[in-house]
Amino acid sequence: MMKWMFAAGAAALAISSPVQADKGGHGGKGQGAQQAQANRGGGQKQARSGHGGGDRQVSAKHGGGDRQVRAARSDHGSGQAHKMHFAQTDNRGRGNDRVKTESHGNHARVAGIDDNRGHGHGRDDVVRVRDHGNRMADFSGNKVFRVRDVDRGVVRFRDVDRDDLFVRRLGYGAGGCPPGLAKKAVACVPPGQAARFVGQPLIAATRFAALDPMPRSFNNLFWDNDDYYYRYGGGYVYRVDRDRDMISGLIPLFGAALIGQPLGQNFINPYNQPSYYSAFYPNSPYDCHQYGYGYVYETDCMTGMVEDVIPTYAYGYGVGQIMPSSYSYYNVPYAYRSSFADNDDYYYRYAPGAIYQVDRSSALISSVAALLTGGLTVGQPLPMGYSAYNVPLAYRSSYYDTPDMLYRYDNGYIYGINPQTRVVSNVAYVVV
Amino acid sequence: MRKSVFPLALAATVLAVTGCNSQNQARKDEASKGTEAVKQAGDKTIAAGLDQNSSFFKAAKAAGLDATLAGPGPYTVIVPDDAAFGKLPQGTMDSWMKPESRAELTRVMTYHILPGTVLAADIGKAIDDGKGKAVLATMGGGTLTATREGDKIVLADSDGHKATMAATDETLANGVIHRVDAVLMPGKASA
Repeated sequence: MMKWMFAAGAAALAISSPVQADKGGHGGKGQGAQQAQANRGGGQKQARSGHGGGDRQVSAKHGGGDRQVRAARSDHGSGQAHKMHFAQTDNRGRGNDRVKTESHGNHARVAGIDDNRGHGHGRDDVVRVRDHGNRMADFSGNKVFRVRDVDRGVVRFRDVDRDDLFVRRLGYGAGGCPPGLAKKAVACVPPGQAARFVGQPLIAATRFAALDPMPRSFNNLFWDNDDYYYRYGGGYVYRVDRDRDMISGLIPLFGAALIGQPLGQNFINPYNQPSYYSAFYPNSPYDCHQYGYGYVYETDCMTGMVEDVIPTYAYGYGVGQIMPSSYSYYNVPYAYRSSFADNDDYYYRYAPGAIYQVDRSSALISSVAALLTGGLTVGQPLPMGYSAYNVPLAYRSSYYDTPDMLYRYDNGYIYGINPQTRVVSNVAYVVV
Repeated sequence: MRKSVFPLALAATVLAVTGCNSQNQARKDEASKGTEAVKQAGDKTIAAGLDQNSSFFKAAKAAGLDATLAGPGPYTVIVPDDAAFGKLPQGTMDSWMKPESRAELTRVMTYHILPGTVLAADIGKAIDDGKGKAVLATMGGGTLTATREGDKIVLADSDGHKATMAATDETLANGVIHRVDAVLMPGKASA
């Protein structure tokens, strides 16, 4: 009798276990192992949160993009203030950070104003820059220095020419200007000068910088029509009125090179300002922020000099813009690497909100390869907006909602969510 | 006493478990339909599935998102028909086509793209679970509110303007398309 009862009990258990197996929660894959980044805010500036999109209802912490104030400011005879402005962040949304939103919206930006007008490359400041958390660059006055690269656990050292690094960080070729123009005596058009071209005949601008037709990959973004055509050079796209052959407008293609310069009025355009703008870029007695053409310009309130340029990819996506500094290495999230590998024509870079395809010859963003959301975080509540089941069709037979587990797809991962607490409990599957 | 209760309890357990099983089986069957649909779509991406002459596709192209919709997704794309674009204020489309307005156009376009694959039935279930209302996140960062009106599902933007879902669940290799009758507008960017 006892044996029978025992067997029955065992049978009952055996019957119930297949139901458990159906849940399909694999768990533990790619769980956010990254540490929340420490707040490093030093210097006179407070840590500022990155612009991961104010109305992204994912996480309150948007990964404070720590900023450290310029180390030194020296005035040269030319009257330009040299500013060394660097940022420290721990991680910038690398592949397996997608499961955490703390890393969102960080921008590790190194912008150096090397005096690329030919006055010499003297830099006396000893500056240590640590960006991306796994690259260390030591700019202690040497022209060639060691960069330590940690890529997937492998530490590599390479020697980098400092000037080369800086101009590359600004996003341009040699001379700190958009590629293809370095040969000219004045490779870059100063912003003030560029603004004065508007209303002038085209030849006024071509005297300064070679103007080319738009690269072919940008034909759908800037296309010539019966009224006007576009020419590109010196860091701007010029719209030329066909009838009068006059420059009727200009669209600045870059922001980074403005650092250290006064902010010209033609860069400012408050339309299309993102909704989170005021929250993330509050003005202080020292920092006055302006917005224009997809960039936020942080200026010194007293001098009007641009201190930093932040591209607002959440709303501008920067298509047609130059991929800004600090995105110089492959950083596509792991779930997408098999789809987007750098090739001879394009390379791919991740920045909050998207994976961008960048045209190699011009360093302009040619398209958005993939859209990304703010991301779900294991251990955090499921954000509002993921109420509907959205697992890709191919995976639905394995990952479907039950009273014990909900499944939601986001940025290449399928997450398991506790239905009672609505907390994201694990990464169930990585869709590679 | 124990002798008579236990078999009953066991029977009850078995029944309950079998009931759970059949519910899960139903879900599995539903899911396998989706897998079939994706197989049938083959290689056709959302970008290929859209009418290249439609206003929506032209707008997507101008925003640089046409390549995005041809890439891996999956995305759920809410596509307003041409008539819907026609209802926009005069000159809106023309101004959107200019490079200076790309940011604005991108905001509008990404407001129509949801992450993952959300079928109409999924939205319906979310509405029911949410006692009549479901909030859907979009790629642009804003949210849409879904409700039922009669037997149709209606999506509302942040201003409350509504778009009714007409043809739904058009399955492609990298997501689904739902067609609606109005253009949804994300909230105004604050000055």
